[in-house]
Amino acid sequence: MGLLTILKKMKHKEREMRLLMLGLDNAGKTTILKKFNGEDVSTISPTLGFNIKTLEHRGFKLNIWDVGGQKSLRSYWRNYFESTDGLVWVVDSADRLRLEDCRQELSSLLLEERLAGATLLVFANKQDLPGALSKDGIREALALDSIKTHHWCIIGCSAVTGENLLPGVDWLLDDIGARIFTAD
Amino acid sequence: MIMEAPVASDGVTSTGYRETVKIPDRLLRRDQDRLEEAVRRKEAKENLSVSEEKIDHFSSAFNTEKTVIEELLSVCSEADRDQLSRVLEEVTSRIQQLQKFLNDSTVFLTQYELRQAQASLQKLQCGLEEKRDEFIPKKKFAFRSRNIGANMSKVIKPIRDQPASSDSGSSDGNLGVVSVVYAEQCGFSNAHSQVLTKEADEIQQRDVLLSHLTNCKVRLLGSPSTLHIKHVRDSEILCGPVSSSVFVDQCTGCTLAVPCQQLRTHNTTDTQVYLHVTSRAIIEDCTGVGFAPFTWSYDGIDADFKLAGLDFERNNWNQVDDFNWLAAGTPSPNWTVIPALERKCTWE
Repeated sequence: MGLLTILKKMKHKEREMRLLMLGLDNAGKTTILKKFNGEDVSTISPTLGFNIKTLEHRGFKLNIWDVGGQKSLRSYWRNYFESTDGLVWVVDSADRLRLEDCRQELSSLLLEERLAGATLLVFANKQDLPGALSKDGIREALALDSIKTHHWCIIGCSAVTGENLLPGVDWLLDDIGARIFTAD
Repeated sequence: MIMEAPVASDGVTSTGYRETVKIPDRLLRRDQDRLEEAVRRKEAKENLSVSEEKIDHFSSAFNTEKTVIEELLSVCSEADRDQLSRVLEEVTSRIQQLQKFLNDSTVFLTQYELRQAQASLQKLQCGLEEKRDEFIPKKKFAFRSRNIGANMSKVIKPIRDQPASSDSGSSDGNLGVVSVVYAEQCGFSNAHSQVLTKEADEIQQRDVLLSHLTNCKVRLLGSPSTLHIKHVRDSEILCGPVSSSVFVDQCTGCTLAVPCQQLRTHNTTDTQVYLHVTSRAIIEDCTGVGFAPFTWSYDGIDADFKLAGLDFERNNWNQVDDFNWLAAGTPSPNWTVIPALERKCTWE
């Protein structure tokens, strides 16, 4: 029995997952976190630092880390990479001007060795806004189809209405689950 | 001495007696242990062979399935489109099943075997994608009609024919791109020393952009959903309640007055903000930004506050987070509260 197997078994027992939520500032990371947790989203202010929430979903214990996306905070992102099972990349679909920034930040994240094993979920957020780019538009702008190193999936959602948040997280859990929690 | 002797001899005899009883007992136990150990070894050996069998079974099953998939992929041709898509579908589901089989087998596989299997699966997946790219062109717009965002943008299309005020007057080479990007927005760009006003019907619940303005006076008498202020110098901008965020970027020497949910200020210097903010204001890469409570008013501003969903009672104008000043305790040198006597109280 290798060390990896032992680790897997330990994780299995706890059924615990660590999800890291990143994206440019104003993407809606905190709103997604709070909405998913059933909290009020109207008083959210730009995240100075990070939020962490532990919540139960489908019998899993999810540790969700939401780290501020302002330019000055991005250099701190790497402090949160360790033992991440799933990376949630949140995109402001209406912020067309910064999609190129967004693509660059994502692609540099995917080169990170410590995120190599993580599953990638891209939330094309703010689909409720009239100016929002569609899920397929975001997929093209971020060149997601060229990603071969990670399992990934893009889901159009709205953190404000809560639309499609659950399907996104469910996909992430399924994918991570298939990887870590192998059947005994 | 005499008294001790019998005690000692007595002790010897008694221990001697006890040992005669104990020896066969211990032997028995040892024999028992030996037998148990033998059974245990046998079981262990059987287990080993079982896991070997499992591995054998896995690799043969895996390889058979792999060959089947490879054959399926190799016979794909463009000839029959209907059949092609069916074959590709089958390949997809077979690959998925194979992945599941591999996942179920990880318990008894060694790392090496696991990696090998994972690699061949990846290869199959790549093969499938290649075939798909080759024969079935990407349906770029397949899901658009179902998409809410796309639908809504279609609805408001007629409005986008009014271009931002003086777009055409610019010599900017990127203009084409920029105007496409801003197609959903309205506002003013590239203006000099002008008074610019927009009434409620033009901006109500829309994305408003003010960019490249110098020495202008801007009045927005309504409630936009978002307000972007970029590359503005020495101008005065007054705006009605904004339901979500106000973005200020690359501005210098301006005076702004706006109620909003969030204010995000970047790369801005020497600017005064008369603010009503229900969550918080932030600054990043800014210096010399002054804050004071919002005091501007116009007819119907109360209704616009309601429309924007802003709480008139809650104003956190002096709680500013500076993302370049993460030290707790010491206040940021990059922003100040404008002293009451220096605040502007009359607006034309």
